[in-house]
Amino acid sequence: MVMLRNTRTRWGALSQFLHWLMAALIGVQIGLGLAGANLPLGMSKLATLARHKSLGLTILALALIRLTWRALNPTPALPGALKAYERRLALATHVALYTLLIALPVTGWIMSSARGFPVSWFNLVQLPNLVRPDPALYHAMVLTHIVLASTLGLILILHVAAAIRHHFVLHDEVLRRMLPGPRRIHPGVMDDRH
Amino acid sequence: MTATDTLRRITLWLTLSACTAAYAGTPGPTYTLVAARSSLTYTFEQAGAANVGRFNTFTVRFDPTAGTLMVVIDMRSLDTGDGQRNDLLGGHDFFDVARYPQARFTATRLQKTATGYLATGPLTLRGVTRTVEVPFTWRTTQRGGRAIGTLDGATVIRRLDFGVGQGQWRATEWLGNAVTVRFALDMTSAAG
Ligand code: HEM
Ligand code: HEM
Repeated sequence: MVMLRNTRTRWGALSQFLHWLMAALIGVQIGLGLAGANLPLGMSKLATLARHKSLGLTILALALIRLTWRALNPTPALPGALKAYERRLALATHVALYTLLIALPVTGWIMSSARGFPVSWFNLVQLPNLVRPDPALYHAMVLTHIVLASTLGLILILHVAAAIRHHFVLHDEVLRRMLPGPRRIHPGVMDDRH
Repeated sequence: MTATDTLRRITLWLTLSACTAAYAGTPGPTYTLVAARSSLTYTFEQAGAANVGRFNTFTVRFDPTAGTLMVVIDMRSLDTGDGQRNDLLGGHDFFDVARYPQARFTATRLQKTATGYLATGPLTLRGVTRTVEVPFTWRTTQRGGRAIGTLDGATVIRRLDFGVGQGQWRATEWLGNAVTVRFALDMTSAAG
């Protein structure tokens, strides 16, 4: 049976679904952002950036849903074999990832408002401007957005490297419990490895 | 309805008609723009969101009695609020302000409506002339011996009718064809 909720040893179906959906969307999002910023001024730049904005806002909404769901659920404990610094690093990267998933859309939205380009969500609803047009703020936000996006890229490399290390080097459950599959029969084993 | 009511209505109607007739009979003033208190803006849809800009320099002459209205817009006064967008919209593919520095509207017919007027006439924009209809409200007050008027209204035109959007910019999926032109004008009578 598929478990919707998390347990102390495993991510539930909703957490898994949101994790992998967002991972895919963020891949597309970074691609759209880079393409949009580098295209020459033209219709395809407008279209690309419009999609980038709509998808970015979707990611913001999903991040908020995900954090709410996380607060309402137990969080699987890290394997007992991990050293204190590894736990701190895991926590720090996860906090940084959530922070960036909120800060990036917000800076993007402020950027668009400050330049006098109102934002819509997939041409369906126009969103309010967060600030009045302000060229200095616009330039500051573009820079912030680029710095944050690069930071996200670097942290994701670390995050993926850690997942690979857990699975192929430490041979623990960390990657498997974020993937669909048979539920573990002996949850206690988790803390007894190595 | 009682007989007195009916009578009161008829009297009121007659008085109003008389006033209107008297007003229409006297030669009225020509109104010109108080530029500092007037605005001319346009709004179109870009990717599902309203994109607004303005023209800062234009002249308007309006004579309600003679039934004339003339608007001349200095297209180089385009103000989109963003340098790059000014260059794009002022450039060849959109308004081409270097070649077509002026846009012009002249009412050839001015019809009285319940709240103001409906002006009909040719609009010349980017070298293309088309007939447009412009409804507006008109209110006057006296201030210091001068007649002060406010002329407010809006009309929707299609940018592609005037060639505003060439080449790739002809597509309307991300850049709407409909453009709402809004004006809120403070006018003052030339006499006074
Ligand atoms: C998780 C969400 C987001 C991520 C990961 C992201 C990422 C990026 C990246 C990688 C770029 C390219 C930067 C460059 O090379 O210049 C970019 C550019 C841009 N982003 Fe985002 N973005 C996000 C959300 C948003 C949102 C919600 C908006 C607007 C509402 C937005 C507006 C923009 C704009 C306008 C640019 C082009 C900046 C320029 O002119 O160079 N972004 N974004
Ligand atoms: C854009 C891409 C990604 C983002 C934004 C992201 C974000 C996150 C976040 C925020 C968490 C922490 C969950 C929590 O504690 O609430 C997490 C957990 C996890 N991520 Fe990712 N992730 C991404 C891609 C990946 C990829 C590609 C992999 C694998 C190769 C991966 C593997 C994992 C694993 C195994 C966990 C579970 C950690 C644990 O059980 O403690 N993630 N991810």
